[in-house]
Amino acid sequence: MPAGGGWAAMFPDEVWEHVFSFLAADGDRNAVSLVCRGWYHIERRSRRRIFVGNCYAIAPTVAVRRFPNVRVVSIKGKPHFADFNLVPSDWGGHADAWVAAMAEGWPLLEELHLKRMVVTDECLELLARSFKNFRVLALSFCEGVSTAGLAAIAANCRNLRELDLQETVVEENCVHWLSHFPESSTSLVNLSIASLEEDVNIAVLEHLVSRCTNLKTLKLNYAVPLDRLVNLLCRAPQLANLGTGRFTAEYRPELFSKLESAFASCKSMKSLSGICEAVPEYLPAIYPICDGLTSLNLCDAPVNGASLTKLVSRCKNLQRLWVMDVIEDDGLAAVASSCKLLQELRVFPCDPYGADPVSLTEHGLVTVSTGCPMLQSVLYFCRQMTNDALFAVARSSPNLTCFRLCIIDPHTPDYVTLEPLDAGFSAIVESCKDLRRLSVSGLLTNNVFRSIGASADCLEMLSIAFAGDSDAGLHYILSGCKSLRKLEIRDCPFGDKALLANAAKLETMRSLWMSSCFVSLGACRLLAQKMPLLNVEVMDEKKRGGSWDSQPDDCLVEKLYVYRTVAGQRSDTPPCVWTV
Amino acid sequence: MELELGLALPNNHLMKGFDLNDGSTTNSYRKRGFEEAFEKVIPFSSPLPRKTTLPLFVHKNGGDGDDENDGPQLKNPDELNSISGSRALVGWPPVKHPRRRSAGGGAGERWSEDCGSNSYAGGGGRRAKCVKVKMEGVAIGRKVDLCLHDSYEELFHTLNQMFPTMQHGVAYAHPHHRHFTVTYEDGEGDWLLVGDVPWEAFIQSVKRLKILS
Repeated sequence: MPAGGGWAAMFPDEVWEHVFSFLAADGDRNAVSLVCRGWYHIERRSRRRIFVGNCYAIAPTVAVRRFPNVRVVSIKGKPHFADFNLVPSDWGGHADAWVAAMAEGWPLLEELHLKRMVVTDECLELLARSFKNFRVLALSFCEGVSTAGLAAIAANCRNLRELDLQETVVEENCVHWLSHFPESSTSLVNLSIASLEEDVNIAVLEHLVSRCTNLKTLKLNYAVPLDRLVNLLCRAPQLANLGTGRFTAEYRPELFSKLESAFASCKSMKSLSGICEAVPEYLPAIYPICDGLTSLNLCDAPVNGASLTKLVSRCKNLQRLWVMDVIEDDGLAAVASSCKLLQELRVFPCDPYGADPVSLTEHGLVTVSTGCPMLQSVLYFCRQMTNDALFAVARSSPNLTCFRLCIIDPHTPDYVTLEPLDAGFSAIVESCKDLRRLSVSGLLTNNVFRSIGASADCLEMLSIAFAGDSDAGLHYILSGCKSLRKLEIRDCPFGDKALLANAAKLETMRSLWMSSCFVSLGACRLLAQKMPLLNVEVMDEKKRGGSWDSQPDDCLVEKLYVYRTVAGQRSDTPPCVWTV
Repeated sequence: MELELGLALPNNHLMKGFDLNDGSTTNSYRKRGFEEAFEKVIPFSSPLPRKTTLPLFVHKNGGDGDDENDGPQLKNPDELNSISGSRALVGWPPVKHPRRRSAGGGAGERWSEDCGSNSYAGGGGRRAKCVKVKMEGVAIGRKVDLCLHDSYEELFHTLNQMFPTMQHGVAYAHPHHRHFTVTYEDGEGDWLLVGDVPWEAFIQSVKRLKILS
């Protein structure tokens, strides 16, 4: 065997490339690149998709240089807790540096997926100018763009297939941005603009929808009224994924029957969302497509439980259901008996701060868990829980991969026994061997963390709030949980000891967020000193422009974000953030 | 350099915090002291000195800079346990739903955006009334949650903090002496001077703010 990695030369590069093309998982490709120098180079040149879980983990220019032929890139910015306003609004996550580097190094880029990043119109304009094969722009939970930027994309991206603005905040200053899609543009497959608040020119939209005969996904915004929805559906009966605009209007029989016919003509409809502020009178118009639906999102429809139940009971093939708690236990019982293929259930609170009790309790969760054998993913907001209910879920749904329970009032115990919910959550992690994501809530002591640390071998993401007794809790997690990648904690009595004792673990994870805990600045300094491959960011929104250096070691850090990186300290921290 | 911190939580402190009903029930889950729990797991050469203990709960402040030097303060457990009606914890419950619309409005009517403490179309409980604030000449707008303010003074204080250039020459309670004019758009789309109507009336009708020089 020739020395110096020469064995890779036994086959031409193209052969290895072809072999590597069967490796879809990034982990596998990463492993391949470590085998020898030859494979490293073949692999990096043939890598077509990269996923950057933390935009600050690597410098854009370095990523672009290493993988020169990327066609699809996915980048995430802000920590998850930014969704709940825990991260300072000017924290960062800017896409500029990335877009600039990509424009230089990836002229053949086809798809850009950004999540929780700050994107500007200049970024979009640069994008539109730089990539002639650009096809997919997906901005989810982003901000900073305006409709002027969207106009640039519409006008210049000749073969745009997807424009998806899921939950992205858009400044609406250019009313006619939709008109910037040239007449010749017929390539759209996905147009998702549900997050836009202002009116769009519906006539222009109708014309666009008519000429894009391959359109499969159309998600409208609130501004599109029910009668115009009818026109759009008639122009696009081939749609598979629909997000309606507002689903409310005065009841008119002729509108109802037109709507019903329009839905009936959509033979391929698989997924339905929007239904904003639905009025019960119009819900039956949806019935024609219920049988074919695999995904139904009723989060914007605070309709009474009975109407929701009637609708959902008809969806025998549902795999994913997102609904508000107004569906109540009775509604979930109907789901359990009708939707036997259900894999994912999310139940959101209609009125998170209200004192009015809703008849959605732990029983609803147990019924669905027992009745739906394929249940894998649960997100459930409720006001009461028992260990027994959690035992039942653990028994009936051992295949859960995601379990997120949010009991709305912090520190709520088992309401029957008044015990903490340690036993219940422990049962979940012990039974659900494939659990990858877990959020805990209610009254919890360190015991639950001992169980999680010991049993949750596949757990990748853990969210903890208002739980635990002491540092030992955090220590159990960090010293166990073999697969842990993301840990986010708020308002727990966890502090320095556990953090410092498990410093090395943090380098095996993507990130750690801790806010309103007991971490001192001194511990952060020590951590940063010991672990050069970690960025230790401390934040305090009251300290705008003040000096962090002069703060004493024992001062408590309000917000801490630690992440591994090969890019060193970032240069765009705002005044309220300090990289220790 | 070993960092030594006393984070022991005294038992009776804990009992107060977790005593949700009557004292008898708390015996079923006695909290272990810090050393008992932690020393078993990590062998530290020196035992932790029992220094001043830090309380379990951290006080959430409204945003004024005064308590920078204060340590964390104990929060009333009842306050923590019943969010409705009181100032909600930031970002709790963790719902991230986008803008709600007011039912029955025309296309021009806007529901105030959520600042993070999201509220749905349902009534009751605490709402966040977030309105956009734009200052002439400043590219990036901000959002202010009016429900966190009780008076015009408080609002101007917040605006001063958000837009530092506004600080020159602002007298809180005297709109006429300001070099900057704060205006608002009301429900009918008219732009009015902030401060003319009683605070409660203002809160009901304001849709967004604009600061003019």
